[in-house]
Amino acid sequence: MTGIIFDVKEFALNDGAGIRTTVFFKGCPLRCAWCHNPEGLDPKPELYVKQNGCLECGLCRRPCSHPECQRFGRCLHVCPKNLVTVKGEEVAAADLAARLLRGSDLLRASGGGVTLSGGEPLLQADFACELLDLLNGKVHRAIETSGYATAETFRKVVSRCEFVYMDLKLADPEEHRKWTGVSNEKILANAAWLKQSGIPHTFRTPLIPNIVGTPENLAAIAEIVGADPWEQLPNNALAPAKYKSVGRVWRL
Amino acid sequence: MNQELYQYYIIDRVHRGLRSDWKEDLAGAYSALGLSPEERMVRRFEAACAKETPVIHPLEQIAMRRTLRKLPDVLTEQEWADVRKDHYVHELGYVSNLSPDYEKTIAEGLLARRESVTSSQKRIIDAIIGLCDRYRDEAVRMGRDDLVSVFTQVPRYGARNFREALQFFRILHFALWLEGDYHNTVGRFDQYMYPYFQKDMEAGLYTKETALELVEDFFLSFNKDSDLYVGVQQGDNGQSMVLSGKLADGSEGFNELSELCLLASRNLKLIDPKINLRVNKNTPLKLYEKGTELTKVGLGFPQYSNDDIVIEGLTKLGYDYADAVNYVVAACWEFIIPGVGNDIANIGAVNFPKLVDEVLRAYLPTGGDFAGLLQAVKAAIQTECDRQTATIQNVWFLPSPFMDLLRDAKKYNNFGLHGCGIASAADALAAVKEYVFDKKAVTPERLFAALDTDWANDPELLHLLRYEAPKMGRNDDRADNMGAFILGTFADALDGKKNDLGGVWRAGTGTAMYYLWHARDLGATADGRRAGEPFGTNFSPNLFTEIPGPLSDIQSFTKQDLSRTINGGPLTLEFAAGIFNRPESIGKVAMLIKHFVERGGHQLQLNAVNLDAMKDAQKHPERYQQLVVRIWGWSAYFVELDRDFQNHVMARQEYAV
Repeated sequence: MTGIIFDVKEFALNDGAGIRTTVFFKGCPLRCAWCHNPEGLDPKPELYVKQNGCLECGLCRRPCSHPECQRFGRCLHVCPKNLVTVKGEEVAAADLAARLLRGSDLLRASGGGVTLSGGEPLLQADFACELLDLLNGKVHRAIETSGYATAETFRKVVSRCEFVYMDLKLADPEEHRKWTGVSNEKILANAAWLKQSGIPHTFRTPLIPNIVGTPENLAAIAEIVGADPWEQLPNNALAPAKYKSVGRVWRL
Repeated sequence: MNQELYQYYIIDRVHRGLRSDWKEDLAGAYSALGLSPEERMVRRFEAACAKETPVIHPLEQIAMRRTLRKLPDVLTEQEWADVRKDHYVHELGYVSNLSPDYEKTIAEGLLARRESVTSSQKRIIDAIIGLCDRYRDEAVRMGRDDLVSVFTQVPRYGARNFREALQFFRILHFALWLEGDYHNTVGRFDQYMYPYFQKDMEAGLYTKETALELVEDFFLSFNKDSDLYVGVQQGDNGQSMVLSGKLADGSEGFNELSELCLLASRNLKLIDPKINLRVNKNTPLKLYEKGTELTKVGLGFPQYSNDDIVIEGLTKLGYDYADAVNYVVAACWEFIIPGVGNDIANIGAVNFPKLVDEVLRAYLPTGGDFAGLLQAVKAAIQTECDRQTATIQNVWFLPSPFMDLLRDAKKYNNFGLHGCGIASAADALAAVKEYVFDKKAVTPERLFAALDTDWANDPELLHLLRYEAPKMGRNDDRADNMGAFILGTFADALDGKKNDLGGVWRAGTGTAMYYLWHARDLGATADGRRAGEPFGTNFSPNLFTEIPGPLSDIQSFTKQDLSRTINGGPLTLEFAAGIFNRPESIGKVAMLIKHFVERGGHQLQLNAVNLDAMKDAQKHPERYQQLVVRIWGWSAYFVELDRDFQNHVMARQEYAV
């Protein structure tokens, strides 16, 4: 089957052990106010216009006859600096696996592998499972997830991984709803299951000032995490920069 | 590192102000006397030694610095013009880019060498000893008993210890430059110096710290006069040092001295000596990690060369195994043989993008098929190689009696041709195959109309060929195989050719400055390159290619049989310095290099790119497509980032270690 991804990053240095290639799945059920990958939110391919270096030549706004350009109202095949692009590529799991495995001897030798990230990989669970099965036994598999999915979906995907990075953002359900758009009920249930699953994992909390990084919230999350590994990630001051490229507004 | 010495020589450059000009019409005087070129070289050398003023910094352990600025030429302009009429004069006409045998002379001493050399060489030796005696007198005057002892022994007699060996090297190297020879390389320093080092360490003369301080003092000496040794640009001076690598008995050359050299380079952060690391499939990860610690400093060192490919390639060209296994790196990346080599590894360069462009214009209108196009490219490469090899006849150099003293024989007289713009040419062929032949989406007329207007009339075609077409660097067989075709054809075209010294011709993957020079006058090309836009340096992707990452880049440039194009010229990977700040990155980059070697790459150079490069990248993003920067939880290509990301990363760099 096919899925939609918006990037493949080689030599990702912060997505797990060894040398890793990270695949970014497009689409996320959460709307965290601080999201630093806004191009990963919408499940469908979308226009992404890089802001830096535009010559204002207007070529991309002239009508063109490429079928794939019509829905975006811009020509994707004419920018002299290649600033007008689409984020979101439909790929077959088998093709993606083959692409990821091209450097797999290095990934293996380095104790690294492939990391699924996003967006939210669980939103394309069947596609993720097929991809993970194709990578099984060939490279180390890791996932970065919000944990927002039904128990069944969560378990079938993370069970196929050798390592799980799972976010725990806000402990209070109302705060969670306010800042991410969804309740944390499913997340907490999946976290509880993950803790006793035997699957190696690390919880992650982004230290968004005054929202996530408050003493009360961190204390409450510490309680949920218990003795498990927990990383607190520094706030990403660069997060707002990409919003204009996807036509979104930075809310914080 | 001795801070006071560093301040004196590197920051304040006090010594440069103590130099004097030597303004004398030597050539005119020599010409009037009707002296032979060799006699002129010897006379100038004697005069230079006599004119040099011994100056010693009170704290330096390794003495000798130039006090004369530029040397007057030995031939008049008219004489040069006469020589050029009948001869091919390579660059400046003085010998260059060679790797002398320092070892033998350091062991035996100049008096012993004097027994069996020419009269010119005897005079050179006497002049060197005369200058060194005056250095000894200066040391006496200053009460520097240590240097008095060193200069009493060397260069008259062989070195007895590490300190004397280093000073002896300094004397020989200094004298080569004073003869007028240039791009004088250092060779396998950690091998020929090791016995002296080892003996002194075993005798307890040094701790690791004091030995390091001595090596740093020695390294500093390469930077004292280097401003006088300008090549195409400042810093282009050929002071290349080679560390580690396979030895004749099959063992590995890495030793404690190699390690100290890496450390000294890291500590000093100076552009000389230029560090090359020889590696091979048996090299442990640990050594790559040590190398990466040096890369992190941002000097662009070390450059790696792969013994497995280089030795095989040199052997195929006819070098004896015993010599090939001892190969070193010349000024930039050319592989040469110490002591017995007389190669001119940088005698010319083939402009592949231009050749491909000419063939496309002549062939596409004929309506022939793609196989025919490749045949036409092959024929054009052959014609160009025939032309260049025919042009370069009757090569003439000024005699260099002192350089000859440091060479046992001129066993190898091979000439090397750089291969310029390989990725650009390969991408052009791949694009034409894809869109003109296979998909028939672009007619030749449309292509030429766009090339002739530098894409102004057809921005869609520019986009297609520049951003959507197959490219080397993206691990795309369609382009990478064209790279293999060009390299194979280049090697075939030179195979069996002899030069007028009886040597062979070597094909290479280097560009030197031709990535600018060859590109400047070339119009737009079918790879989506704009008119005048520079090629990638050496064996690297086009500058505007969007690289998925270093794995793809490495895979693209290791698919070809590089042992057949072994004149030298690396793949360059650019990393932002910031990625090295996490300790585990060192290991990850090290594994990447090991992977490159295991895949059969021949030469690799890594950069930790600094703030200046990023500032330039903002003005000219097209030149920095491979620049990787670390953001927060992820890495990205700098040019893909929006301006505020870029500014932020740049602001952060100022605080980076």
